[in-house]
Amino acid sequence: MNSEIKMDALYVPSPDVVAREIEGELIIVPITSGIGDLEDELFTLNETGRDIWDKLDGKRSPRAIAAELAAEYSAVPGEIEEDVRGLLEELLKRRIVVESGR
Amino acid sequence: MSRAAGKPGLRVVKGGELPLSGESLLALLEAVLAKGVPFRFRAKGFSMSPLIKDGDILIVEPRGGKRLHPGDTIAFINPMNGKPVVHRIIRLDRGFVVVKGDNVAETDGLIPEGDVLGIVASVERRGKKVRFGLGAEGRLIAFFSSCGLFEKLLSAAKRVFRPATRRRAR
Repeated sequence: MNSEIKMDALYVPSPDVVAREIEGELIIVPITSGIGDLEDELFTLNETGRDIWDKLDGKRSPRAIAAELAAEYSAVPGEIEEDVRGLLEELLKRRIVVESGR
Repeated sequence: MSRAAGKPGLRVVKGGELPLSGESLLALLEAVLAKGVPFRFRAKGFSMSPLIKDGDILIVEPRGGKRLHPGDTIAFINPMNGKPVVHRIIRLDRGFVVVKGDNVAETDGLIPEGDVLGIVASVERRGKKVRFGLGAEGRLIAFFSSCGLFEKLLSAAKRVFRPATRRRAR
């Protein structure tokens, strides 16, 4: 599967996952073969991962998300872009996010 | 990211290794069933033993529009503590269900049908399906359970079969 992130495309959480904040941690349950399987692999995001996840609304591109976060964290935009790209590639590879409209 | 915030990270966790409280399990159970898909998880406790044992893997299906029947094994919200419970319906009562664990003496009282999260469709133990108790025989179990006889039958069965099992093991 091509997991290369396009920085100006739009991405959203996959319809095949359920994400819930549990005791301060975002837990992502994949729907595999039509079942939400708590015995299978689950995913959690750390705080900064969660900040990116919260902005995946299908309206903001990875580049726009990185720009917002750079302002929030007072960080270097280029560095943030690489972090956003890295996480989204991982999420896309695992089918936790999908490109919007696909 | 800034040095203070740290790099964004995704952690992969084997589901069975994630310590979840009853409330957390309920939140995930509700979220998955709300999507209209079944939920697979590990049972805890002995209240449905021997048909559902501690550590068995259950699949709960969303109730959808299905009618409930005595004998159905259901997941519901315990009104006393807000935690999810899996027990058997022994009676229907005008918009409520009377629910009871097969291995406990007392019922859970009247549970509003709206608090029924789903119906247990499958039980797996050590990789094998356990079918007994989920079919029509569930009604018979519910009947005996409602008369307070199922626990007595279970105790009698244990007395009869345990020595035989031990003899075979020697």
